[in-house]
Order: sequence, then structure tokens, then C-alpha cells
Amino acid sequence: MLASLDRVTKRYPRADGLRDFTVGFPAGEVVGVLGLNGSGKSTLLKLLAGLLFPTSGTVTAFGGPPRLNRAKLIYLGENDSLWTWMSPKDAEAFMRGLYDDFDVARYRGLLDSLSVPQRKTKAMSKGERGRLRLAMALARDAKLYLLDEPLAGIDLLSREKILQSIVREWHKDETILLSTHEVAEAEGLFDRVLYLRDGRLALDVGAEDLRNQGRSVVQAFREVLG
Amino acid sequence: MKGFKTLFWLELRRSGVWALALIGSLAFWAWGLYQARGVEGGDPAEVHAILLAMAAAIGAIILALMVGRLRGETRGGQYQLLLLTPPSGAAHIAARFTFALATGTAYYIILGGLAWWSLRMMGTSVDAGSAAQLVLAIPLYGTAIAIAPLVAWTLLLMVFISAYRISGTGWIPGVVMVLGTPFALRWLFEGIGRVAYSLPAWPLLGRLTSASTFLPAAGDGSPPKAVVDNVIQLSQEPVWIMLALTIVFLVVASRVWREVEA
Repeated sequence: MLASLDRVTKRYPRADGLRDFTVGFPAGEVVGVLGLNGSGKSTLLKLLAGLLFPTSGTVTAFGGPPRLNRAKLIYLGENDSLWTWMSPKDAEAFMRGLYDDFDVARYRGLLDSLSVPQRKTKAMSKGERGRLRLAMALARDAKLYLLDEPLAGIDLLSREKILQSIVREWHKDETILLSTHEVAEAEGLFDRVLYLRDGRLALDVGAEDLRNQGRSVVQAFREVLG
Repeated sequence: MKGFKTLFWLELRRSGVWALALIGSLAFWAWGLYQARGVEGGDPAEVHAILLAMAAAIGAIILALMVGRLRGETRGGQYQLLLLTPPSGAAHIAARFTFALATGTAYYIILGGLAWWSLRMMGTSVDAGSAAQLVLAIPLYGTAIAIAPLVAWTLLLMVFISAYRISGTGWIPGVVMVLGTPFALRWLFEGIGRVAYSLPAWPLLGRLTSASTFLPAAGDGSPPKAVVDNVIQLSQEPVWIMLALTIVFLVVASRVWREVEA
């Protein structure tokens, strides 16, 4: 198992992020993490990234605490977390200096395919910044990708480019967890789908199983969470 | 230390404007000193001393603000991004500390140069050794006993507050540490005052010669002069105490960085 949560509860001062949550992620699958706002999607991904510590239970990534293995995983947060002065060239220097697995040629190829302009992020649109962040993330050769709402607030064409890049860059030994509200657009990507409701795992199902039942990911979303 | 070079570069990009503004502000103080050289109804030397002291104090405050600014750092997500990078907390803290210390050192060395210039304007001649000490040794001494621990303390404060931000209670350690700082300083100064000063002091400013109106004219008719030897003696003990404290602050800040939740 590449990563797992074992009976994890994450409690915030005013709410529970996750409650008694158990799930495992083997290598080589694209997992959709779906749910309404406040269902615990971001908490799940942050716990796996080691950005949050569980209130109780155990989170494991690569056989140990995620924080100790952060060089092997990629977390793309929902925050627009780039400095305003940063250009794609600066981002390359930043990533190359800090991550051994950063592939410069792959990064430059991603910049091209995602049509990221060569200017500072403060002069970029939200979609352009989102594509730059994705290029930075996907240019690493990690095994676990935690992508939290990479499509949020981004125009249709940019969303399509991002999804195409995720498909193109994915390798069979890598696991991607993708949280999104754009369920219809992303559903073709998923091997497996987690439906979260109020911090609990409402349904954990293979996308193929859903299709065999004649249901789409979107339909199941409405049935389980509606 | 892996990643240090990149993190230092990042700090330069992140805070370079602050550093340049800080050092550039010395032009303002130089202008003030120049204007005060012939001040009427007051002692120019006294005005110069006040201006230089103000420049030193304000420089320290701006430096602390540069290091400790949190806004746009954690809310924008950059801190979160940095927490996910493989370099250790020590590398992150060391990069920030080194950049701030380099900026502070440059600032105070230039300020030392202004002090030397001020003496020249006051008609005090300084031998070469003393001039070098004024421009280098005293600023470095001040950096060691005041700026280094101040920067390290600010970094610790910043990281400690960050550790509580996720739960929305960052203001509690913030208030505790800010309110506690004056008490900690008082305790520190009292402690330093009680230290047995047994190490030999460093004599500085070997010879200052200044024009004097209080001494009788020399027999050859040349202007009267006051010659003062060994004007300043700097104790060693505070340097070692403050450097030890600086290291302790940095080690704790590095450890806390590892524990910070974004």
C-alpha cells in the first residue's frame, strides 16, 4: 500500500474534518475524491501530505509518517500558493534547487503544452497560474500525487488542458488523488472514486464497477451525496 | 545543507526590496547628519549622536519586521508550499537568518561609516586603525550582541505563531511572546549585568584627536587638541552569551518548523 489512513479522526476547533476514516491507496490508480464543500476532501489530502496531523488514528505514506517522506509525494493545494514575483523561469530554479526528482525537460514541455506564458504570476490569470502550478507539480517524478481542486475557478479550456496533462503524465506505478467539483469533466480519469460526506467515507467504489452497473460517477454522486 | 542556496535565493527575491529599502534609508540619515553639522543653538555632536542612535534603532526594527512578516506568507499558501519541500527546517531557518543577518551587517557597517564621517565633520581626526574599528568592529560587535539574537528571536516567534495558525489560535502565542519579550529582555540584561567579567575587554578606538576649546594653545601656536586613548573597551562576555542564545533560538525555531501545520 502506497498510503493509508487507519481510523483517522481530524478535529478542528469548530468542526470535524474527518471522522473514523479508514482507506488505503495502492500504487497505480487515479482516485477521485468527491464530496460537497466541507466534506473533508482537503483534510484527507493534507493529512496524506503531512500538512496536518491527525487528532487520532494513523496516517502512513511510503511506510512512514508522510512528513518524513515528503520528497516522494506531491501536494498541489487549493491555495494559489505562488509568489507574485515568480515567473515560470523562477519556478524552475525554485523546483530544481529543492527537489532532486524535478525534470527540467518535462517541465518545459508541460509549460508548452499547458500554454503557460513567460511572465510573472501577478500578471497571469488564475487559469494561467493554475496551469503553472500543475506544470511544477507534474514535472516531478514522484509516486503519489495529491491534487486538491486543481480545476477550481479555472476556465473550461484550461481545465481541459490540465486534465489532458494529468492523463498524459500519469505512469502506471503512480497514484493520483484528485479532488474536484468538476465531476462530469474529470470522471473519465478515475479508476476509483471516494465519496465523502461530513468527514466520513460514504462510498468507496471502482469507476469500472459503476459503469458495469450502468451508472456514471456523476449519477452516483447525486445518489450518494444528494 | 541541502537546498540552502535555493532557499537563500528565495529569501533574496522575497525580501530583497525590504533589504534595499533599509540600506537605502541610510541616505536619509546621511542627509540628516550633513544638515546637522552646523546646527544653531545646539551641540552638533549631540545631534549627530542622536541621529545615529535613531538610525541604529529604526534599522533593527525594520529588520525585525522584514524577518517576521507573516501576512502573505501563510495565508497565501507559500509557507505551505515550503513545508512540503525536502530541505530540513534548519535549512529554511538558516537561509532566512543568514539573509537577514547579511542585510543587517551591511546596514550597520555603512552606519559605522556614517559615524566616522560624522566625527570628521565634527573636526575629530581618527587614526586608520580606529577608523577601521569604527566602521567594522563596532558594527560587528553590535550585530553580534543585538541584531543576531533579535533576528533569531523574531524567526522563532514567527514559526511558533505559525504552528498555531491552523487552529485559529495563532494570536495566543503571538500575544504571549510579544508581551513576554520585554520581561525576557529585562531578565537578560540583569543576567548579563551579573556576569563576572573576567575575560579581557577589546580596546577600540585607539586614538582620537579632536580640536578643543578647553585646552590652552600649544607653545608653537597650533590649535589646541584633546587626545583620548582607548575611548571604548568592549566586553567579550555579552558577545558569547548572545551568540549562544542566538544558536538556541535558531535550533528551537528549526525544530518547531518541522512541527508546523500549514
